Amino acid sequence: MSRKLTPYLLVAPLIVFIACFTYIPIFTSLDLSFREWDFLSAGRPWVGLDNYRQLLVSHDFWNALRVTTLFVVISVPIRLVLALAAANFLLRETRSSRVLRAALFLPYVTSTVSIAVVFSWIFATDYGMANAVLQGLGLPKIGWLQDPTLALLVIVIVNTWKQLGYDVIIYIAGLQAVPPELYDAAAVDGGGRWHVFRRVTVPLVMPTTYFLLVISVIEAFQIFTIVDVMTRGGPAGATNMLVSELYKIGFSLFDIGQGSALAVLLFLLLVVLALVKSRLIGRKVHYEA
Amino acid sequence: MKRERLTAFAALAVGLIFLSPVLYTIWMSFQTSDAYYTGRLEFTFDNYATALGQYDFGRYLLNSVLVSGAVTLVSLALSVMAAFAFARFTFPGGNLLFGAVVATLMIPSHISLIPNYLTLAKLGMLDSYAGLILPAISNGFAAFFLRQYIRGIPKALDEAAYMDGATPLKVLWRVIVPIARPAILSMGLFLFITEWNSYIWPLVAVGESELYTLQVGLARLYRINPGEGFLDWPLIMAASTLTLLPVLLGFVLVERHLVRGITMGAVK
Repeated sequence: MSRKLTPYLLVAPLIVFIACFTYIPIFTSLDLSFREWDFLSAGRPWVGLDNYRQLLVSHDFWNALRVTTLFVVISVPIRLVLALAAANFLLRETRSSRVLRAALFLPYVTSTVSIAVVFSWIFATDYGMANAVLQGLGLPKIGWLQDPTLALLVIVIVNTWKQLGYDVIIYIAGLQAVPPELYDAAAVDGGGRWHVFRRVTVPLVMPTTYFLLVISVIEAFQIFTIVDVMTRGGPAGATNMLVSELYKIGFSLFDIGQGSALAVLLFLLLVVLALVKSRLIGRKVHYEA
Repeated sequence: MKRERLTAFAALAVGLIFLSPVLYTIWMSFQTSDAYYTGRLEFTFDNYATALGQYDFGRYLLNSVLVSGAVTLVSLALSVMAAFAFARFTFPGGNLLFGAVVATLMIPSHISLIPNYLTLAKLGMLDSYAGLILPAISNGFAAFFLRQYIRGIPKALDEAAYMDGATPLKVLWRVIVPIARPAILSMGLFLFITEWNSYIWPLVAVGESELYTLQVGLARLYRINPGEGFLDWPLIMAASTLTLLPVLLGFVLVERHLVRGITMGAVK
């Protein structure tokens, strides 16, 4: 009798939390995106698509979309290529490869704010390490975080440095699942190291690559902390990401309706990406030996 | 033999260079501000005293420990129960519910930022520990990961316990939890670190400085620019070291557990 209820009672607490703080908020955001509200006034009048219309004519929104997309398009491929190369190099179970893996992985679990702070120092115009190196080489100082292009590049570098270890670990797990005979076979066929890497390794870790692609694109589109600490979206909006814009509209301007509209648009973008990619993954999984 | 030692040395060197930003943070935190700006070497613990006392990082440290600890314990308890149910019971709606739990991994968290803020405002829980803790528990990763692990435990063990008249809760507590302890520990560590490093929610949920976590406190300290006209980098680095040190220490002790937890979640 109570046996039938048992599993429901066991899952109920977690399900309640997930419902309240993950699923219902999706619908709340959708509802709020059609209303005008400043968080203080009593009424929340329905305004239809007004919030979306305002967003789509706002320069700040398009700028944030452009900057974030640029960031994703630059940083994700760099991460994946570096990670696959490093994983291929660190595949063997030697002590030095274990030490290096741990070193690569450490930034991933380190506080993002701490990392953003120390890189702010490294790229500071005065007394910063990067400029100290430049001056040591007899070159002039550079305003890393004052130049729009360089500032975005710095954000890419910092984010890559932080996330690389995760990608490497996942790639190593993926590579270890490849049967060693396949490498031997390719080597016997007269392939050099590069040939084996291109013809055997890369195709066989395709499922892992697609997994990482989905995860890192979704995560990169939501970049916030590094930017919030290092540049606050500047100079002149050059690093102003979508979530920074959401934070500004929602929690500085208290335009709940427009902030929700932005959240919904970003959500839809990411869901569509996830669905497209999961279809791709479904197709590529056939590579598995 | 000699070549192996050389490779190990090179690996160590590359690792240290890669980690130099972290090492620099710690190194600089022990320098006096004057010495730093004049290029001399002069070591001191004063930066830590100033950060912990004058700038309230003692309080932030306590807040971070309490919040991360609570999130970890509650999340683990709820996730272990749910994982047990998903792994061992077939029940109508079970697959659907499990799907909903797994899907939280793909749902971007920014969508719940404004709604959760409003929910907690309505409950009067902004600027409270509860406000920091509750939304963070809504995470399906641990339940998903632990279900995979529990499915690998032979079912005969449960059945033997049921024969002896044990209740499901007893089976969970006496049979499953002890066997799954390594996985639970890995997961707990992962949850603790994730919550420790969490930034945007504490930033949104808390306005009063007594409830800042280390992450928010550090970002604020960097922004308010202590020191006159120039940044007091050694002080900021001491605060930063306090912010990253607990996790670094944990990492050194249990890195392998952590890596296993993350890998098993990603690659079946």
